[in-house]
Parts: sequence; C-alpha cells; structure tokens
Amino acid sequence: MVSLTLAGAAASTGETKSKPKTYVISMQIVGFDPPELSVKPGDRVTWENKDLFPHTATADDKAFDSKSIAPTAKWTWVAGKPGTHTYVCSFHPNMKGTIKVQ
Amino acid sequence: MKTTQAALGGFLALAFAVTSAYAAGPTDPQIAAIVVTANQVDIDAGKLALTKASSPDVKKFAQLMITDHTGVNKSATELVTKLHVTPESNPTSQSLQKGGDENLANLKKLSGKAFDKAYVDHEVAYHQAVLDAVDTTLIPSAQNAELKALLVKVRPAFVAHLDHAKKLQGELGK
Repeated sequence: MVSLTLAGAAASTGETKSKPKTYVISMQIVGFDPPELSVKPGDRVTWENKDLFPHTATADDKAFDSKSIAPTAKWTWVAGKPGTHTYVCSFHPNMKGTIKVQ
Repeated sequence: MKTTQAALGGFLALAFAVTSAYAAGPTDPQIAAIVVTANQVDIDAGKLALTKASSPDVKKFAQLMITDHTGVNKSATELVTKLHVTPESNPTSQSLQKGGDENLANLKKLSGKAFDKAYVDHEVAYHQAVLDAVDTTLIPSAQNAELKALLVKVRPAFVAHLDHAKKLQGELGK
C-alpha cells in the first residue's frame, strides 16, 4: 500500500525511478569492449563472447564470476551495491575490465 | 640450449619456407592446410604437456592452448567446408607438421622442470613463427574475404598466447 502511494506520487511529479538498463560488453581476446563501464544498482550487464573460444568475466573481488562462456554465448550479471569491480578473463589474463556501480 | 637452438633452426627454416616457397604466395586451399596444421600441432603439444608438465601454471597454459586452438580449428574447418575449399598439403604445412613431430619426440624424452622449460620455450618460438607467417604471408595472400577475415580474427590470439608463453618463460627462468 505504501509503495503504491509512493509510486503514484512519483508518477504525478514526473520523478519516476529510472528503469534498470541493460549494457552489453563484447568479449574478444584483444579485450573487453567497452573495457570500462559505469552502471547503477539493478542494471544488467551482459557479456557476449564474440570469439572462437571460451572466455570468462571474473571479478577480482569475487562480486561475479561467469565461469566459462562458450563462443557466441552470453552471460548476464545484475549490478549490486555501489563499488568498483575490476575483472579479468581467467583464461586470458591480458583481458581486463572495470565495472563501476554508482 | 641445444634443443632451443634446434627448435629455432627449424623455425628459421619454416620462415624461409613460408616466404620463399610460393612465387605468388600460397593459394587459399594451401592456407587452409597451413592454418589447420598450425593449430593441430599446438593442440598435440598441449595434450602432451597436460600429462607431463609439473608446473600447475604450465598445465593451465597447455589446457588453454588445447581449448583455444581447437576453437580456431573448428571455425576454420566450418569455413572451408562452407567455401568448398579442400585443404591442400604444401611445403609450409609439411614443415609445420615435421617440426611438431620433432618437438613431440624431443619433449617425450624430458620430464620435470626440463620438460616445462622445453615446452614453454618451444611455445614462445612457435607462436612467434606462426605470427610472422600470418602477417607476412597468410593474410596478404588469402584471396577469399572470409578466409582473410578469419586470419585477421585469430591473429590476436597468437599475440596473447605469445605474451602468455613469454611470461611463463620468465617465471620458469627464475
């Protein structure tokens, strides 16, 4: 009931909370593209493997770990609380990326 | 050291074969055979290393070589099938196969740290040699656009593998 009231109030003032967005990061052995991404809590980040062999998106702080993503496959993570997560492909250490949750 | 010199001698011969064996560069069927052989040779070395290497990092690298080069060969095979290109054996693919067979024979005699070092040294030289061939001969010679695109797409993998192998080489040398 409370949430309904709040939602109604927000709608009437035009201050609706923005819907979660979906971002796509492509995975290739030359690196993650884009290598750095800023998102908000609740946003979805999808990694797409565009290579001919598996990759992973593995956060150094263990916030997420896709495990092996096969060629042409995808994996999605929903951003949690604010923070900066550096991550790598655990197979190809030259592939590095950063997700900032703001 | 002797092994490394022999391996490097083989690669110089390979580089020479690649650059001089074709008056007008290899044909697409020949390039297809070179690509498939180059990948298979490294897969075979990786499989041996997976059973004989002592360092966990070397084993991990060997598994990566098997996985990545298998992926490349799958795509290469699918492409040549689609293009109705039949891979054609040629001096370069034969040289690659011969070098690979000699490497396996040499590695089978070794064990422990000596094996790890010989395997990784060879991986460094091998990826450098294949990369040089990709840059100087295979990409410039490829006629079919999709075959050329595949070579361009896999090139960074050879660079990454080379860097990875060099890093391992440095760690093993400590």
